[in-house]
Amino acid sequence: MDTRITFSKRFQYAAIALIILGGAALAYGFITQPDRAWANLLLNNYYFLSLAIGASFFLALQHISQSGWSSMFKRVPEAMMAFVPYAGVIMLLLYFGMHSIYHWSHEEALASDAIIQHKAPYLNIPFFFIRMILFFMAWIVMTRLLRKASLNEDKTGGMINFERSELLSKIHIFLLAITFSFATFDWIMSIDVHWFSTIFSLRNFVAAFYHGTAVIALIVILLHQKGYFPALNKSHLLDFSRYIFMLSIVWGYFTFSQFMLIWYANIPEETSYFAERWHSGFKVIFYVNFFINWFLPFTLMLSQVTNKNIHVVKALAIVLLAGQYIDLYEQIFPTILHAPVFGLIEIGTFAGFTGLFVFVFGKALASADLIPKNHPYLQESLHHHLH
Amino acid sequence: MNKTSIIGVFDEENALMAAVDQVKKEGIEINEIYTPYPMHEVLEAMGKKTRFTFAAFLYGFAGASGVLAFLYYTSVIDWPINYGGKPTNAFPSFIVVTIVLTILTVTLASLFTFSARAAIYPGKSFILPDKRSTDDKFVIVFDKSLLKGGAEKLNALLLEKGAVEVYEKELHPQN
Repeated sequence: MDTRITFSKRFQYAAIALIILGGAALAYGFITQPDRAWANLLLNNYYFLSLAIGASFFLALQHISQSGWSSMFKRVPEAMMAFVPYAGVIMLLLYFGMHSIYHWSHEEALASDAIIQHKAPYLNIPFFFIRMILFFMAWIVMTRLLRKASLNEDKTGGMINFERSELLSKIHIFLLAITFSFATFDWIMSIDVHWFSTIFSLRNFVAAFYHGTAVIALIVILLHQKGYFPALNKSHLLDFSRYIFMLSIVWGYFTFSQFMLIWYANIPEETSYFAERWHSGFKVIFYVNFFINWFLPFTLMLSQVTNKNIHVVKALAIVLLAGQYIDLYEQIFPTILHAPVFGLIEIGTFAGFTGLFVFVFGKALASADLIPKNHPYLQESLHHHLH
Repeated sequence: MNKTSIIGVFDEENALMAAVDQVKKEGIEINEIYTPYPMHEVLEAMGKKTRFTFAAFLYGFAGASGVLAFLYYTSVIDWPINYGGKPTNAFPSFIVVTIVLTILTVTLASLFTFSARAAIYPGKSFILPDKRSTDDKFVIVFDKSLLKGGAEKLNALLLEKGAVEVYEKELHPQN
């Protein structure tokens, strides 16, 4: 069964055009409003990194639970993981924009602020980048090894690579729990340097897993509609829907508990975070965030009438793409820019990163068979049937 | 008066389902199937449908609305108290109670619905044709008096589909 996908030249040119558009929008931003451009760079890079990390967690979860149903789709999360090194390079560029994004990186803030002084042993520029490099090294090594085991399985077959994938996945999940927690603390939470929330990393990790899964579902559905994955049936859709449904609940649970405890305790140093996010136009975003990321998926994925319907799942996954953007917008923009802005810079940067992600993803997906050949559960996946 | 039943014992679910399909094709009526764990295939094969999930949804909806209404009534309308300057309608703090009480409502209402629908109550007598269905065997039961053809044909069919044992037994309700 030859199921290699071709990443057409036309598609590649479209992706490259988007990248150029994004580069132009960012360049325009750096000239006119550097703070806004840096916020956009961080948001979009973290956005697509979170999709890649979420996909890698999804893949690892399939391995450790020895899931049968998903084995024919495993090349999709694998190809999404290929974005991690690119995100790493772009994240390193933050070195030049530290002062625009992170208040704690200013010398004068450090000199006069006791809280920043207290956090300085952890939050200082050299250690920040040492951690960043360590995190990305861990992710790049683990995603490469997972990918290699999967490709070796195509060549040699047998159970060795299957068992190896499971072992690697255990290590990967363990590493992710530590590294991604600190990564979100470093890159997102430290923007509000006076504020902290212990559930923050868990919440952002779930958001990454949630939206990564939604994107996997979306890509699988799009490929299915192009004629790939002919074996995709209602049972696979139901499994994807259940993931989205479950994750919308977990996302809502964590997000709400973070908000509710702070709202209820009403201690000034904690409440200031949400006070900032309730001013001017941000309050709308706060509610829209809950609506898109919790209410909509929760109600739509309840009934089997809608959650087995390919069009509903596809539309929902597209809405969830916006959901992750809004979620990150609410976390990053209020502190840096103090007022909601959305214009050419935002649209252009997002388009550019989409182009880059699609380009990297497409190359990776085309470099191997779309359906793994020797996965022990492949037949189970092809004939997946739920009652 | 007790009826004689034909009992087929299977080792695994695939063999059981193959036998069930074949038996249905021959037009033989199945009396009951006992499995170690719930199997949706069996429910489908017996021509049974369940609206239980929809009932659970309704209980959840009613529970959530009821609890929210109750909290609103008690803390806003009937007995408004100022807790640390919070508005009396402290909606976010209602949510936790609502979630927990909704789960309780759904659980209890579902339990009672299931018990009423399946006519199960404490101390009810039951029929257990083969004890091993509570361990690792799949047991299928036929009413011998309802068989049109001979029992031999059914026995042969079950054995051919992989039954490890086929025997006849008079079933008595136990306590």
